[in-house]
Amino acid sequence: MKRSVGHILGKTGIRIPLILWTIAVLYPIFWMFLGSFKSNAEIYRNPWGFPENFNWQNFADAWTNYNIDTSVFNSLIVTVVGSLLTLLLAVPTAYAIERINFRGSKVLFTLYVSAMMIPMVLGWIPLFFLLSDIGLLDNIYGLAIVYAVSQLPFTIFVLTSFIGTIPKSLEEAAAIDGLSPYGVLWKIITPLTMSGIITVTIMNAIQFWNEYFMALIFLQSSENYTLALAIDFISSEAQYTNAWGTLFASLVIAILPVIVLYAIFQRRISQGMTEGAIKG
Amino acid sequence: MVQSKKQKYTFLAFCLVPTFIMFAIFTLYPLFSGLYYSFFDWSGSSQNKEFIGFDNYIKLFNDAIIPNTIIHDYFLVVTKVIGIMILAMFFAVALTQLKIKEAPFYRVVFFFPNIMSVVVIGILWTFIYNPSMGLVNSGLEFLGLGNLARPWLGSETWALPSLVLPSIWAGIGLFMLMLMGGISNVSKSYYEAAEMDGANQWQQFWKVTLPLVWPQIKISILYIVITTLNGSFVIVQVMTAGGPNNSTHVMGSYLYQQAFVQYNFGYGATIGVMILILSLITVLLMQFLMRRDKVEY
Repeated sequence: MKRSVGHILGKTGIRIPLILWTIAVLYPIFWMFLGSFKSNAEIYRNPWGFPENFNWQNFADAWTNYNIDTSVFNSLIVTVVGSLLTLLLAVPTAYAIERINFRGSKVLFTLYVSAMMIPMVLGWIPLFFLLSDIGLLDNIYGLAIVYAVSQLPFTIFVLTSFIGTIPKSLEEAAAIDGLSPYGVLWKIITPLTMSGIITVTIMNAIQFWNEYFMALIFLQSSENYTLALAIDFISSEAQYTNAWGTLFASLVIAILPVIVLYAIFQRRISQGMTEGAIKG
Repeated sequence: MVQSKKQKYTFLAFCLVPTFIMFAIFTLYPLFSGLYYSFFDWSGSSQNKEFIGFDNYIKLFNDAIIPNTIIHDYFLVVTKVIGIMILAMFFAVALTQLKIKEAPFYRVVFFFPNIMSVVVIGILWTFIYNPSMGLVNSGLEFLGLGNLARPWLGSETWALPSLVLPSIWAGIGLFMLMLMGGISNVSKSYYEAAEMDGANQWQQFWKVTLPLVWPQIKISILYIVITTLNGSFVIVQVMTAGGPNNSTHVMGSYLYQQAFVQYNFGYGATIGVMILILSLITVLLMQFLMRRDKVEY
């Protein structure tokens, strides 16, 4: 009896830090949503409470007066093009490294994987001039290419381990039936790796949607800004314009797609990231 | 498989060559080229590119800001490792060992900041630290500790430590999950045996859990170190841009300022080489220090 009372108390005790951390995580996010419905005056008067009434003016302002519409569009293009290009480049290489015997496959794999540990910041200076030389500086498609290549090592790494789980006999049977290696890759391997492809693509997409620093370096004119840059811009302007409500509204616009993806693919995302980190 | 050598090599080339060319152009070439640029005095236009040998490196060693940026980076590394590992370990043990019904809820919530954009995290926390309406100062005043309230990000002493909390806040979930994975792989029989020997929960943690999840702990620490050294400048750039008065500059944000704000591209590349070397040395050193044979019972 004594033990079980202590146990119950212990469990309640352990819940206190868990609940506190839950509040620490959720409250700022929740607060951002509340702030997006407040007028600037109200944000000053009552920064941390509920809004007096819900008005959508901030969203309208952000969308039209602060060019958030253009940057949402830019971010979408960068995210979609970047994710597709990553797959296009990574799937064949992952397959070849995992399933075809050739000299140097280990070396190639190590080369790609070790690129995950290299600080790319050194490469960004030459990349800036390279993009400028080929006319892709300040260009969202140029940024999409840079993003795609930056996620190649991680994507190849995750996909090889997925492809490794497909039984070899399936490919052999398909080859005996006269399917070319291209056919095997496209019709057998790609569908069977779909689970891995989806996981890695969701993670890449979130990464591209959120990315800030490369966009800061490689984009210059405001009509090319991605969402992260546009928000950063509004945030630094807000010191003078005091447009806090607009800032919150644009933060909400930026985070909503991530919340939706997380709500749907929560398990995939957390598993993918954990495994990526552990094996990497 | 019936296919000729030639077919095999064409297919291999189809699979590998385009990807490798892209990787070479956009990853390998810039890295090596960065190394090369570090020997030039260069403000961006091709006419003014002048080979100056090791002058940039000499400048690096005499730059009074550089040692501070290195210290700041390692300060973030150490505080993040300690803060994240203690909290993540605590939460991981709580959510796996004690049978809490709503554990999945905590898991989902704690992980979410890991996939938030650094821009969103940075701006949110800039508000939390806001001197007049921020949560931290309001909270301190509410608790009657108003004299502790200060302009956190505007203070040369407090700005850097203030950056640690958002990083921990954003990072815990991932490492908690990694440790939870490790703990759930530990066979129940070890705990049963330990309990029979009279070990209390605390002893079980030190003698059973900790040694058996050592591989996960090691990977987590390495991962925090690498991501901090290679990426701490993003949160710095968003929240303080290195200020006030350079008191929060880390190596990466200083590189950004030198190269892309002041157009000293050669010197920026030199800072990049330093980041590369320091982060490689640190990782190798950590791997050497943390090698410890896998515990088997």
